Amino acid sequence: MKKVLTTCEFCGCGCNFYLGVEGGEIVAVYPSFSHPISQGRLCIKGWQGHEYIHSPERLIAPLIRKGNRFREASWNEAYQLIVDKFNQTRTRYGNDSVAVLSSAKCTNEENYLIQKFARACLGTNNVDHCARLCHASTVIGLATTFGSGAMTNSINEIEGADVILIIGSNTTEQHPLIGDRVLRAITKGAKVIVADPRQTQVAKLSSLYLMHKPGSDVALLNGMMNVIIAEGLEDKEFIAERTEGFEELKKTVASYTPERSAEITGVPEESIIEAARIYAGSKKSIIVYSMGITQHTTGVDNVMSCANLAMLTGNVGGEFNGVDPLRGQNNVQGACDMGALPNVFPGYQAVTDEKMRNKFEKAWGVRGLGVNLPSQSGLTVVEMLDSALEGKVKAMYIMGENPMVSDPDLNHVEEALKTLDFLVVQDIFLTETAFLADVVLPGVSFAEKDGTFTSTERRIQRIRKAINPLGDSKPDWKIVSELSSRLGYPMDYKSPREIMDEIARLTPIYGGISYQRLENFGLQWPCPTPAHPGTPFLHKGSFSRGLGKFSPASYKTPAELPDVDYPFILTTGRISFHFHTGTMTRKDWALDREYPKGYAEVNSEDAKELGLRNGQTAKVISRRGEISLPIRSTEAIRKGVVFIPFHFAEAAANKLTAANLDPVAKIPEYKVCAVRLELAL
Amino acid sequence: MKLLNKANLAPFLERLRPEFEVVAPLYEGQDILFGDLDSSQLATDFIGKPRLSPKEYLFPQRERLFTFNVCPESIEIEAHFNETKRVIWGVRPCDLYGLKFLDLVYLKDYIDPYYQARRANTLLLGLNCNEAEESCFCSSLRTGPFAKEAFDLLFTDLGDVFLVEIGSRAGEKLIEKGANLFNLATSKEREKAKLLEEKSKKTFKTSIDLGKIKAKIAAASDNPVWAEEAVKCILCGGCNWVCPTCQCFNVEDIKAGHKTQRIRYWDSCQLGGFTQMAAYNSRAAQAERLRQRIYHKFSYNPDKYGGEIGCTGCGRCTDVCPAGINIAYILRRVANE
Repeated sequence: MKKVLTTCEFCGCGCNFYLGVEGGEIVAVYPSFSHPISQGRLCIKGWQGHEYIHSPERLIAPLIRKGNRFREASWNEAYQLIVDKFNQTRTRYGNDSVAVLSSAKCTNEENYLIQKFARACLGTNNVDHCARLCHASTVIGLATTFGSGAMTNSINEIEGADVILIIGSNTTEQHPLIGDRVLRAITKGAKVIVADPRQTQVAKLSSLYLMHKPGSDVALLNGMMNVIIAEGLEDKEFIAERTEGFEELKKTVASYTPERSAEITGVPEESIIEAARIYAGSKKSIIVYSMGITQHTTGVDNVMSCANLAMLTGNVGGEFNGVDPLRGQNNVQGACDMGALPNVFPGYQAVTDEKMRNKFEKAWGVRGLGVNLPSQSGLTVVEMLDSALEGKVKAMYIMGENPMVSDPDLNHVEEALKTLDFLVVQDIFLTETAFLADVVLPGVSFAEKDGTFTSTERRIQRIRKAINPLGDSKPDWKIVSELSSRLGYPMDYKSPREIMDEIARLTPIYGGISYQRLENFGLQWPCPTPAHPGTPFLHKGSFSRGLGKFSPASYKTPAELPDVDYPFILTTGRISFHFHTGTMTRKDWALDREYPKGYAEVNSEDAKELGLRNGQTAKVISRRGEISLPIRSTEAIRKGVVFIPFHFAEAAANKLTAANLDPVAKIPEYKVCAVRLELAL
Repeated sequence: MKLLNKANLAPFLERLRPEFEVVAPLYEGQDILFGDLDSSQLATDFIGKPRLSPKEYLFPQRERLFTFNVCPESIEIEAHFNETKRVIWGVRPCDLYGLKFLDLVYLKDYIDPYYQARRANTLLLGLNCNEAEESCFCSSLRTGPFAKEAFDLLFTDLGDVFLVEIGSRAGEKLIEKGANLFNLATSKEREKAKLLEEKSKKTFKTSIDLGKIKAKIAAASDNPVWAEEAVKCILCGGCNWVCPTCQCFNVEDIKAGHKTQRIRYWDSCQLGGFTQMAAYNSRAAQAERLRQRIYHKFSYNPDKYGGEIGCTGCGRCTDVCPAGINIAYILRRVANE
């Protein structure tokens, strides 16, 4: 049996394991015991979640739509059809009539290529990916306050913290190996404070649990800061030497007395005071947050408030203190780093900056073709769909994403995708989105290609090819290169290694990265030169932007509040056995067996009042749609709140959610919308 | 007893190759895992155990049992028995016990033909432990650190040479294949091995009182330890996946065209979906599932198999637990409360 060391394809922890290969099939998994994060441990997805690779449902040939069905086609025919349609569309409606969705499941090299494809080949900045739906607010919020939108610590540093404030992160379920570090910290005596409308596993293990109302995060954090300033617990030296804007913060949080904060959040005053004292009482305090902070119309405000709290107490820039957004996908950090975003080139270099455009125009050789790179920021995920409905976006290229399950307000998404003149989907399965495509191109799983993923702690790591691509499928980087070449912009890469060399030349934070240097479990960016050892924690001595900028925010209510007709708040999320739209995990017997279908978690008192018994099927209805699914009544959720995991297409939570966006980050408010519940007859 | 120079181990194993697939602990980067012999990666001087037991060579993580084809007239079935002749070197005493225990499960009352085919073709070459790892507690269970049975050959590391004990005629035949590499051992080396065994027993950092556990376990069902530890469980199944004695499996039919493959996978009693084929998992709470795992090994197994416990003392379940659930800690709570 051959053993191939690789990086897990599910969450952002970046665990490593060996795939055991026999007769061209993956037959075993062995965790890496020497890997800094895995240390011999994996979650169930790592141990048992790779059966989808050999699923008979894998796409193994290109498909072309024929009426309501698909027929198999040769690569040549599929490529030619795309070339003709994309050329027609661009000639008739301009370059920006095409939009591209990249994938946080794909490698850095593939993300780099597809944004290069969008910008240099198609001539549009309309390129985005699902980071828009998870951490767009982090990228902006932390860039504003600190100058860099990534987790400031390394995962292992969490184990050394004295205080861990977890807000809006179901850590043990969603980032199990980071949850492992939280549990180890607890064993060593750390105090863990958890703020979440749901009493998650980590909340049950915490020393202080705050069950706040969904969307009241700014009020909660401002309340804590109010207490810290009132009691003189702030770090005056840190504030004076390393930050700016403290007076404005002080002014803003002055009105968030514990009393007022308690009223907005529903958390008892004394708990807010206690949380503030515990957090400010150590110089080894870490904030861990995730979608509970980011997926709001106030996502950026929430993120900045976390950063404010950290700066106020001098708890950032050290080995055991910092602000740690946990990235959800295996390579969502990398997809952002690679510039699969409408406003930046790789390495967060702005497309609106002429100097940057010059640099990339030269490096990508577009001038020789008489083309300039587009100078205006492009469209974000939700805006692309809105523009499709408005008739401005006519064609889309979607690589490895499934907006028909993952995006908010699915009826609207479906309408938008159906309005398109031409849709290409590149995926490993005929997903709900691929089902609407005109051409479907078969990509491959992580086990069938080489490349790199960047984990949530900025660790760039290798994935290694274990088996050959199934059937006629091709590695995604190859598909993009071949298509680009046929569209008149040649991409002639022999291997992902060669692509990484180009990335390193153009991306300062990846400047010192080469495959050779990644052999020993990778490097953490920034890693600007070939001799640089990588950076375990950020902002040591000074922030990326120089001084840290206090960016006070006032509490704003979520966009859609409960009312008489829709009296409950719906909040959505994931469960540990499934991943995102379930295209992979639902094909795995062990994972599917745990949760074969969706459910709605309802507070037991609410259930009683509604006359709903545990296990009964309920209709959950919002202004945008309705779904039916069994309810699970529990005391571990705030009264008035309903939780539905979004993995299940047949009971898709996103039929209910609203596409209300944060005004800056354009992230949808998945964590709050109004619904009502009825017994399904 | 024989002596084999350490330098002659790889040549000896290589010499078995034409006839056997040779499996041994190998360095994979800095990890030690069992794999097909690559002499340049052979691990001989490691402390503790290879990261997974060699169980998977007899009961694989994923095994194609048979393929069937349903035609209109008939059903064609092709079974896939693995009859590869295999020698596994470097099997630690805990793992020898693990396989002895699996033999009880799969070859005694109920005979599993797939396990039987593999087992009949496998020779086990043990390797005694001169030093324990943090999580090891085999000395408390008397399954190690030196093996007394269940091997074809048994190696003891005396420094520059291995003392080799013969445990079966099949093992002796292996030595005959490399006869010129072996010397006869003297009482001096046997004495040295005895001293090493005593020394090794003193290196254990983890110990439990098996007698007390056996006496108390029946009354421990309400011990608060189950709930206290279970609340941390993240349901990864790791404790089961790495256990040398866990034997539960699930089967799945994978259909492609007319052909269906029946595949057997390791299963985990810690999952809510376990025993779902019988409608549901009767142990609804995680605390009950954790208790079941320990009770199965320390109470139900000994009842069924003449006192043999279903734990080898290898400590791997503790090593891989992302929640820090420690089997020795649980057993001490059972014994002392």
